[in-house]
Amino acid sequence: MVDIAQPLPQRNASLRPVAGVVLGLTAIGALLHLLEPGRIAAAQNFLLVFSSLLIEAVPFVLLGALVSAVIEVFVPVTVFEKLAGLPRPLQLPASALAGMAFPVCECGSVPVARRLASKGLAPSAAITFMLAAPILNPIVIASTVIAYRGRESLWAMVLGRSALGLVAAVAVGWVIGSRSSGEMLRVRRGDAVAHDHEHGSRSAAFFGHLSSDFVFMGRYLVLGAAVAAALQTFVPQTVIGSVAGAPVVSLLAMMGLAFLLSLCSESDAFVAASFVQFGVGAQLAFLVFGPMVDTKLGFLYSATFSKGFFRVVVVTVAAVTLVGALWIEVLVG
Amino acid sequence: MRWSARSLAGAAALAAWASLFWFLMASGRTNLYLSSRTDWVVPVGATILTISALGRLVSARSQTPEHLSPKDAWGVGVILLPVVAVLALPPASLSSFAASRRSSFSSAGFTSSPEEVASGELSLGDVAGALRSQEAMSALVARAGSEVDFTGFVTRDPGAAADEFTLTRFLISCCVADALSVEVRVVGGPPGQFEKDQWVRVTGKIYPLGDEVIVDADSVEAVERPEKPYLNP
Repeated sequence: MVDIAQPLPQRNASLRPVAGVVLGLTAIGALLHLLEPGRIAAAQNFLLVFSSLLIEAVPFVLLGALVSAVIEVFVPVTVFEKLAGLPRPLQLPASALAGMAFPVCECGSVPVARRLASKGLAPSAAITFMLAAPILNPIVIASTVIAYRGRESLWAMVLGRSALGLVAAVAVGWVIGSRSSGEMLRVRRGDAVAHDHEHGSRSAAFFGHLSSDFVFMGRYLVLGAAVAAALQTFVPQTVIGSVAGAPVVSLLAMMGLAFLLSLCSESDAFVAASFVQFGVGAQLAFLVFGPMVDTKLGFLYSATFSKGFFRVVVVTVAAVTLVGALWIEVLVG
Repeated sequence: MRWSARSLAGAAALAAWASLFWFLMASGRTNLYLSSRTDWVVPVGATILTISALGRLVSARSQTPEHLSPKDAWGVGVILLPVVAVLALPPASLSSFAASRRSSFSSAGFTSSPEEVASGELSLGDVAGALRSQEAMSALVARAGSEVDFTGFVTRDPGAAADEFTLTRFLISCCVADALSVEVRVVGGPPGQFEKDQWVRVTGKIYPLGDEVIVDADSVEAVERPEKPYLNP
């Protein structure tokens, strides 16, 4: 076997940053241990929210990376070519409904969508799936039912959330249109692994993709969780209570709150239901907007998709949510 | 075949998170971050992360090894930062600071129904149910004067009488980020004896009054933070 070992300078190039990171982390750990930020209420609150967001989200990101690796290594390209052959008016709703079969929250669906698009599925369909899955999956529907049980607005919330989530996801796919994966996906170094399994074993390729996705998504998840925890710590929720009675402003306020809180779609219904001073429309806006657009997703989208994608999602989802939630409030509120 | 530094860094990131999840299980600290509804992610996460780390380690030798750029190394460092933070810090739960920042309308779906409030021993979940719906509040009003036994931490309102404080407990449905507080006003406690954020057990008689719930204390005693500091479904 030909040995193509790296020259010594490259190995040293790997060691130097590793030493820097190890030293940096050790210093941070020692500082945290000695300074005891728990004595400062805001610091303790920040660290608790930050850690709990990540402890809950990391296994889902890993599951997403695992599904993504299975798609890359074990699912033949021909499957996606067949799906890509479906007429576009069918492709988008079918992709959104496919989200019902993927019971993970929003962090897990991002790597899967990226992989689907890079394997040949139309990016519009992959993104429609990514946005719909966190709202349409059965666990989220069940948690919404539980959170609103016993209330008159139960079915308006459950059906309204599912319907608006479906429409918003399809609308984003429609806006993206026929843009190619080359135009939509950011190139990243881990993509080089994509062709490794042509030369190595499938298991090596599988773990390569899994690790690459985890490391890539993980760092942006950490940054997003840090921003969300800071906002939860320093922006009191009571601030938005003053606009509860204002028709359109209350919806915008709840959408803004959903963005700041970055809750998992499997738990956000419990929080939405707690804002009893807000109407059906505003609570619905919180439940539709949050799983598609929030602080941590902003980081994940920006790292995964091309420049401008996050803006398209924000504007389209906000427009559909606002109009749809207002209509539902008029009909049942 | 040579070791690929980039693959080893990926294996290290996975292994570090696996270690954190095993640590949470071994130390019983999962309850400080997650509800009983979602704590299954810790053993599942620990198992998948461990298998993934081992798989990555075994496959880290390559004919075309990749070196680790400074950008990659710091990216892995960012992922490891929360692991270091959780391991380095002493265990803690949400405090009165969080209570001042969060919604206290405890209407989460797992709170008690009017039927549950109407019978049996009263809990803070029943109080949350009463604050959630008029029917449950009516059921609680019908039980005014009943004996209660609540555990929570002390929060103080500015201007409150010396023998009064608010007993607070958080309810979480998935993780700490979605915490909602349930609060009862405790009157007749020993003045100045309990500090903010101190965990106490209060026994006394309950009196719903308007949109708040008051407990006329028979006894208030300091207790350790419970193993499960948050109320769960």
